[in-house]
Amino acid sequence: MEPVGCLTPFTLSVKDLPWIILWDKEKCTLCGRCTAVCPVRAIELGVHRKRAINVSVGLTEKPGNLFTVYHGIDQRTDPVHACVGCGMCNLVCPNNCIIPAHNEEIDKLRFHNNVGGVPRRRGGRRNVPGVILDQIKFIRISMLTDPALDAGRHEFELRTLLGRILPPEEMVRVTQENGWTPPVREIYPLVIGSMSFGALSPNMWEGLQMGVAYLNEELGMPVRMCTGEGGCPPRLLRSRFLKYVILQIASGYFGWDEIIHALPEMKEDPCAIEIKYGQGAKPGDGGLLMWYKVNKLIAAIRGVPPGVSLPSPPTHQTKYSIEESVAKMIQSMYMGWGFRVPVYPKISGTSTALAVLNNLTRNPYAGALAIDGEDGGTGAAYNVSMNHMGHPIASNLRDAYLNLVKLGKQNEIPLFAAGGVGKSGNLAANAAALIMLGASGVQTGKYMMQAAAGCLGSESDRCNICNIGICPKGITSQDPRVDRRLDPEKVAERVVEVFLTFDTELKKIVAPLGRSTSLPIGMSDAIGIADHHAAERLSIRYVV
Amino acid sequence: MTKKAKIVLAGMEKGIRVDSRILEERIQKAVTDGHRSIEIIAHGQHGIGGRLWKAGEESVLIRVLGTAGQRLGSMGFPNTFIDAIGPVSDDVGWLNAGAHIVVRGNATNGVGNAMAQGKIYVTGDTGARAMTMTKHNPRFDPPELWVLGSVGDSFAEFMAGGIAVVCGHETPRVDNILGYRPCVGMVGGKIFFRGPYKGYSSQDARLTPPDDAEWKWLTSNMKAFLDTIGRAELYPRLTGDRSAWQLLVALKPHEKHSGPSKSMGQFRKEVWDRELGARGLIGDLSDLDRSPIDVITTGILRRFVPIWENEKYLPPCQAGCPTGIPVQKRWALIREGLMEKAVDLALSYTPFPATVCGYLCPNLCMENCTRQKENLPAVDITLLGKASLKAMPPAPAPKTGKKIAVIGGGASGLSVAWQLWMKGHEPVIYEMRARLGGKITDMIPGSRIPDEVVEHELSRVSKQVQHINLKHPLTKKEFSEVKERHDFTVIAVGAQKPRMIPVPGNERAIPALEFLRQSKAGKAVVGEKVVVVGAGNVGCDAAAEAARLGAKDVTLIDIQEPASYGKERKAAEAAGAKFLWPRFTKAITETAVELTDGQILPADTVIVSIGDQPDLSFLPEDIATQRGFIVVDDHFQTSDPQVFAIGDAVKLGLLTDAIGAGRLAATAIDNVLKGWYETFDKLPPIDPGRVKLEYYDPSILAFDDPAYCASQCASCGACRDCGLCETICPVNAISRKQGDGDQYEYSVNGDKCIGCGFCAGACPTGIWLLVENEPLE
Repeated sequence: MEPVGCLTPFTLSVKDLPWIILWDKEKCTLCGRCTAVCPVRAIELGVHRKRAINVSVGLTEKPGNLFTVYHGIDQRTDPVHACVGCGMCNLVCPNNCIIPAHNEEIDKLRFHNNVGGVPRRRGGRRNVPGVILDQIKFIRISMLTDPALDAGRHEFELRTLLGRILPPEEMVRVTQENGWTPPVREIYPLVIGSMSFGALSPNMWEGLQMGVAYLNEELGMPVRMCTGEGGCPPRLLRSRFLKYVILQIASGYFGWDEIIHALPEMKEDPCAIEIKYGQGAKPGDGGLLMWYKVNKLIAAIRGVPPGVSLPSPPTHQTKYSIEESVAKMIQSMYMGWGFRVPVYPKISGTSTALAVLNNLTRNPYAGALAIDGEDGGTGAAYNVSMNHMGHPIASNLRDAYLNLVKLGKQNEIPLFAAGGVGKSGNLAANAAALIMLGASGVQTGKYMMQAAAGCLGSESDRCNICNIGICPKGITSQDPRVDRRLDPEKVAERVVEVFLTFDTELKKIVAPLGRSTSLPIGMSDAIGIADHHAAERLSIRYVV
Repeated sequence: MTKKAKIVLAGMEKGIRVDSRILEERIQKAVTDGHRSIEIIAHGQHGIGGRLWKAGEESVLIRVLGTAGQRLGSMGFPNTFIDAIGPVSDDVGWLNAGAHIVVRGNATNGVGNAMAQGKIYVTGDTGARAMTMTKHNPRFDPPELWVLGSVGDSFAEFMAGGIAVVCGHETPRVDNILGYRPCVGMVGGKIFFRGPYKGYSSQDARLTPPDDAEWKWLTSNMKAFLDTIGRAELYPRLTGDRSAWQLLVALKPHEKHSGPSKSMGQFRKEVWDRELGARGLIGDLSDLDRSPIDVITTGILRRFVPIWENEKYLPPCQAGCPTGIPVQKRWALIREGLMEKAVDLALSYTPFPATVCGYLCPNLCMENCTRQKENLPAVDITLLGKASLKAMPPAPAPKTGKKIAVIGGGASGLSVAWQLWMKGHEPVIYEMRARLGGKITDMIPGSRIPDEVVEHELSRVSKQVQHINLKHPLTKKEFSEVKERHDFTVIAVGAQKPRMIPVPGNERAIPALEFLRQSKAGKAVVGEKVVVVGAGNVGCDAAAEAARLGAKDVTLIDIQEPASYGKERKAAEAAGAKFLWPRFTKAITETAVELTDGQILPADTVIVSIGDQPDLSFLPEDIATQRGFIVVDDHFQTSDPQVFAIGDAVKLGLLTDAIGAGRLAATAIDNVLKGWYETFDKLPPIDPGRVKLEYYDPSILAFDDPAYCASQCASCGACRDCGLCETICPVNAISRKQGDGDQYEYSVNGDKCIGCGFCAGACPTGIWLLVENEPLE
């Protein structure tokens, strides 16, 4: 679009970009809505000169040029303003005359989105669509062999346990010896995974919490949501809704002094404490909430002054060995609530997960282990971490579960799986697959953003600009001009609908197994896959 | 076939139970044989009494004694009446298609499962899942189930039609006669019941008192039921209190609503905000309005706002002009029809608008013209320059009485004196030569500019500015005397002293400026072969002059690629001069220039043009110099605050550099004298990318008419009042506001503006800028 001038290495054409704006001059009414809404200002009004050659038939007169000027919507091609494919332009266009189309070939932008020598950072998930969980089939359909249940007719109590479950003999011994048994919560097996107040907009966060409260109080579904690292609003800490909340502590320790100050005023204990050691989307890396996102509100909740950058380092500073770090953290967090609240670590999917798990089995306090696989989402990470680092959740979780089986402790330390659950939209199927592979429950974050708030992000690298604070749906922004696009009430309604739907679908899957009260955790004879290697690796049936 | 007497079929023969298949064969045979009353002493046989269609329209009575097996009367026909004397097992009346079955006792699970027609009377209680999956086929009457006592759990599951009546009479289930979770999945039919219950599936059924028609139906059919089961005495008791009866009716599809009952809005108000406090989760932390907004917003909610940046940046022409002439403003005046004003304006900036802009200047304004970005011809200032001959000087400011000495009457000296005169001061030029003009009059070849132009402009300035012709080089003493007598002194002596190359025979060469001066005076002589050492623009002038004076073979050498360009270079090339580089001079002989590489360039005349230096012999020691030039700061002030220095005495440059320096130095002096500072010149240049050239005709190759030329000026960074922004704004947020006189501005109504940036996109001059709105907190 630009006139031919001096080329620079990063001079790109529209053809080089991942998203190409298709604009229909005929249909456009030049209303300005598309350019007003574009989050990255990828489009602008352009002036164009049109030339026509006037030639009289028979060449009786001297031919002449006729120049006219028209205005249209132009796509900018500099890397900073490259279209992200969110499609908001199309959403607001009254005439459906503008839409981003995915470039059919590998874009050239990827070689240039490191302005200033800074590698690309973005939000979203690994840019690889699909997940192996989608391929897992539920092959055990009991019609006459087991008491087959009817998902629509029978009553189900789909609950799972979070907390250290002692075997009976141990329970007796422990009760006699020190009078303390680990706290255990009976919760819904689908947990809203950790997304911080700050990573999410206030309206999004409130919407999720409101939906969770509704599910608990109006529908009797004990759904829990993890705060993520970023503290917890003081009002929530002092409300009865706190019992629906899993508080997360991570390497930045943000907001924890506010939580401690709220201890004397808490009406309820939180559901649990999650100690975050790693995240599936960016294993081995930390986070950084940029100073410009740290407004008054975020600052108050995190207990910091406004306008400072908030780093969450990749590691906790004062922990030097697995034995020490796990024991130290778990002990401390138990003490916060008088040993009444389960405490568990969350790690990113890794080939070292078993080392962590084995350690936990020897720690009588460890309440669970959450593992977040490579397909997890995030608000901000280096592209390289997201795309290339981490362990898939299926085999990681499976190894962990079979290891517990080997130790005879599979009913004692619940495993929670996360990372790409519902990535292709198959939330219940993915969750059920993980449960049958050995998970006691699953956590999901990105799916909630997509289903409850209309997140536009995709694994075709659509949108994925959560990190720059201009989420076009207002989900990950701190700017009221954007986040007020989101109505917390509507988010809450969708949360409820998502869980009701999930519940029905999960019932449809477990009913033919004759399960209505206990989840089929580790019931791997009920699943199969049409991939021999995957079947072997996961120790499940190979079915074709 | 005649009707035969009652037949008795035994379910047990010789102590051996008759197989269900055999008993069925015998019942069917009895019917075929014409028996219409059959008594069966059952021993748990399956499906007794069903499928008796062979009797046709004739009714068949099946009396069951003993223990009926499962599915008594299954697939029963309308002609069949089954009277079971005693309790029955599961699924009595299964898939009943019309039989009337009476159970004199209790029935276990699945009573009437999937029945579509017929009636089942139970005189006791039923087990679980009675009246489940029942249908009503509109071709027939609906099926009926009458239970004198109570029903078990999961009653009426998936009931799709028919009528059930549960009388709640004499049942051990005293607190719940409908069992656990009745009516799940119920889609049709109705259930009359009388007695306590513990819930039903409210998603599927609704509770209502029977209306008159329903009550009438119930009471009249109750009679038949009680008569049939021999309990007519209960009639008054069961029908005496209408209010004891309730009715469960399947919800119609449109009455069913999936999802929770309490709206989220209600929950938020009644539960959420009540527990957390007003304004919810963070109502205590933020006062900001957080109510939902549209995607397209106006006012403070716009993400971007346009700013009318009129004349906030310098146009590239003006920014590129060392003299600082507001070139674009002049074209704007012409567009307004004010040609004279446009011409006169130049004199505020330079005393030589015609001489320099029209002829001698390489016209940096045109080189910087935004139009060149798209290969459009630059707006041609020389047209305007030449027209400036007629320009009228502005009226000077009131006299200040301040005296400023200007040493040197060349381009820079005249410029600073002209500016100081306009500002009301009294400049005095001390010129060491016979006439004013410096290089312009002294050295620039006549071919480049007509003499009368120079004369005209010189006389214009000399009429206004006092000058003293010293006619001798200034001495130190004279300089300090001059300085004493004036408030400020400006040194504008130029660079008159040629630099020579330190090689043997350099005395044989003539400095270029000297040569040009002689040439201009008509005194220069050249040989046939001329070598010019130094191929800059002065060298080119010299080469062209040498050719004009008769040289046949002119060669310019340089130690690097020649820096000459523009008119000078073209003139030299047109004169046939050859350019050689890199070449290093070793010696100058009488006949040639010898080069370090051994080459000999024959030369009758050698002209050296490697630059000039100022002659600063008059300069007191306390004024700092560096490499022969006077050191000045950004305001052209020397190390002596009372002394300024400009032009080639400071740094070699173009005429326009010298004129510009004069203007800036005059401004600096004036600023000091009046105590405040003007800043317009300090504006940054506009990004030419903001200017839209698509509005202009690309077929123009050159301009010959100033008025048309003015129309094609892109007016970079300065509003041309075209009104396009007003027009293109999709929401009519932009309007033109007339101010005093010819003042105006375009302003944005924030309440309408959506921040689309169309104004910025369309503005031909690039003055609209779309910026991010102020943060909200």
